[in-house]
Amino acid sequence: MATSILFMHILNGLAYGMLLFMIAAGLSIIFGLMNIVNLAHGAFYLGGVYIAYSLVQQNLGFWLAMIASIVLVAGLGVLMERFLLERVYGKELEQVLLTFGLSFIFADLVKWIWGTSPLALPVPSSLDVSLDMGGTMFPAYRLFVILVGCLLAVLLWYMENKTRIGAIIRAGVDDRQMLSALGINIKVVFTSIFAVGAALAGLSGVLGGPIMGMYVGIDSEILVSSLVIVVVGGLGTWKGAFIGAILVGLVDTLGRVWFPSLTMAMVFVIMIIVLLIKPNGLFGRGAHA
Amino acid sequence: MRANIWRTPTLFIAILLLLPLILTNYGVKLTSEVLIMAIFVMSLGLIIGFAGLVSLGHAAFFGLGAYVVALLGTHLDNTYVLIIAAAVISGIVAFVSGLLFIRSSGAYFLMITLAFGQMLFAIFYKMESVTGGADGMAVSASLNLGFGAIESRVGFYYLVTIAFLVSYYLLRVFISSPLGKGVRGIKENESRMTALGYNIRHYKLIVYSLSGMLAGFAGALYAYFNQYVSPDLLHWMFSGQALIMVIVGGVGTLVGPAIGAGFFVILQSYISSYTDRWPMIMGVIFVAIVLYGRGGILQIAMLLWNKLRPKRHKEEETPILPKEGNGFESVKG
Repeated sequence: MATSILFMHILNGLAYGMLLFMIAAGLSIIFGLMNIVNLAHGAFYLGGVYIAYSLVQQNLGFWLAMIASIVLVAGLGVLMERFLLERVYGKELEQVLLTFGLSFIFADLVKWIWGTSPLALPVPSSLDVSLDMGGTMFPAYRLFVILVGCLLAVLLWYMENKTRIGAIIRAGVDDRQMLSALGINIKVVFTSIFAVGAALAGLSGVLGGPIMGMYVGIDSEILVSSLVIVVVGGLGTWKGAFIGAILVGLVDTLGRVWFPSLTMAMVFVIMIIVLLIKPNGLFGRGAHA
Repeated sequence: MRANIWRTPTLFIAILLLLPLILTNYGVKLTSEVLIMAIFVMSLGLIIGFAGLVSLGHAAFFGLGAYVVALLGTHLDNTYVLIIAAAVISGIVAFVSGLLFIRSSGAYFLMITLAFGQMLFAIFYKMESVTGGADGMAVSASLNLGFGAIESRVGFYYLVTIAFLVSYYLLRVFISSPLGKGVRGIKENESRMTALGYNIRHYKLIVYSLSGMLAGFAGALYAYFNQYVSPDLLHWMFSGQALIMVIVGGVGTLVGPAIGAGFFVILQSYISSYTDRWPMIMGVIFVAIVLYGRGGILQIAMLLWNKLRPKRHKEEETPILPKEGNGFESVKG
């Protein structure tokens, strides 16, 4: 295999990894902070891409559709957290039941509204070109996705480490009770973080639409990969989610090329190896596992 | 007390044995499915309710058992060997994976078992040349226990009924054995049991392997029942449904999961015949149960039952339910 083709596969893997990062980051922080495994997180991805699809059909244009879709998905997240999840904090089994049920409802709702045949979100026209990269052509859109992912990672890293909000989140992951005892309005923190997590997953959905396609069932595939990333990367850190996502994205994409029949299996083998060496994940804080 | 212990099961067994006389062919088939699912869901209920291990990948063992019958069945057609192989292989896989997973608890355990289940799903899904991939494969092995092939629905029904009753009885024996009591002690208070000198990991591993074995056994029965297996049997959605059946039936009991299985299988078959929106209706049921029906249907039924019954029976019935009402609180996060 020529190095240029390998290079392209690596870029593809990175693009996929970035999409996963956007979902896993929210999932990881929500899990770390609120101790909720949000099994309905894939629904935000699904919501993001399908809403954007309908808006693009209305000639709204890709970028406006993207923003509107993210706002709507974040709103959905707020409603979900305020009216449903809030009632089950600290009750693990009920959370599983609730979020699992919600994922069924959302997936079936999407099936009902948009049908079951696979749809595709068109690549925005401004990025619908291929760039010449040392002899091979690579779609500019995928490079754009990688760029967005990296920018987001830097932004989130900055927020986590250099701002007051980040300090609150870090403190919350380590000790929730102490945080509220210090006079932080933990309800507002929870709702906002949940909304941000939903928005990130929605963004991932919109950006992923032109690459991954749209079909019901992708939500659970993506959710499972993201959960693996959370386990591999460790709870409650953006950094863990980022490194974990790149790892999973690359292994998954390169695995598809080299060992097509063992693709998903390889991802899980990585998870098991990481768990054997570092039970709390690569960057886990260790308090919750 | 003793009489009371035996009266209800005897009545229940009698009903199970007489049911085919009044049911239609479809009803017999549906009840067989309920009983198979009940075995599977009881195996999950065992690790959740008695060991505090909430798994979201238990369907992997069920599917594995089913595939063992389907795959090995093309080479040798001996029902005993196939069913035992299904249970043993599932048990071994549970044991080996348990060695790795048992260290984690709570949500971490949930995610890891989910990932493991999806890995097995992926392997069976991708190995098209062997397993038929997404299309699944037909089960060619015939059901023969040494006295002629069992081909009628009613014959199969009785086989499954016996399998269910034996599984239930063995689980009952297990949880009241010293081993089972140790496991329950761990769920109640892990640090105290450690302090008392129990090796909690061994206990958890034993119960996890046992549960995987039983799930594989149920899967093997399902392969014979359905005559067809597909990777969906290993999918986490199926694991999730089984988990819901446990929770809906009532955590921390043996009967609860079985009732939960019956409730869902029958409801699904009923609703699916009217509408394609079953997943949504199921989702709404989950949410409604969380918000309004705390403690599962068994709990609700028990409350009603206790109200309707004469007072003297009350104390005898309540102990099988967890003290706090629904058992959710004692599972550590």
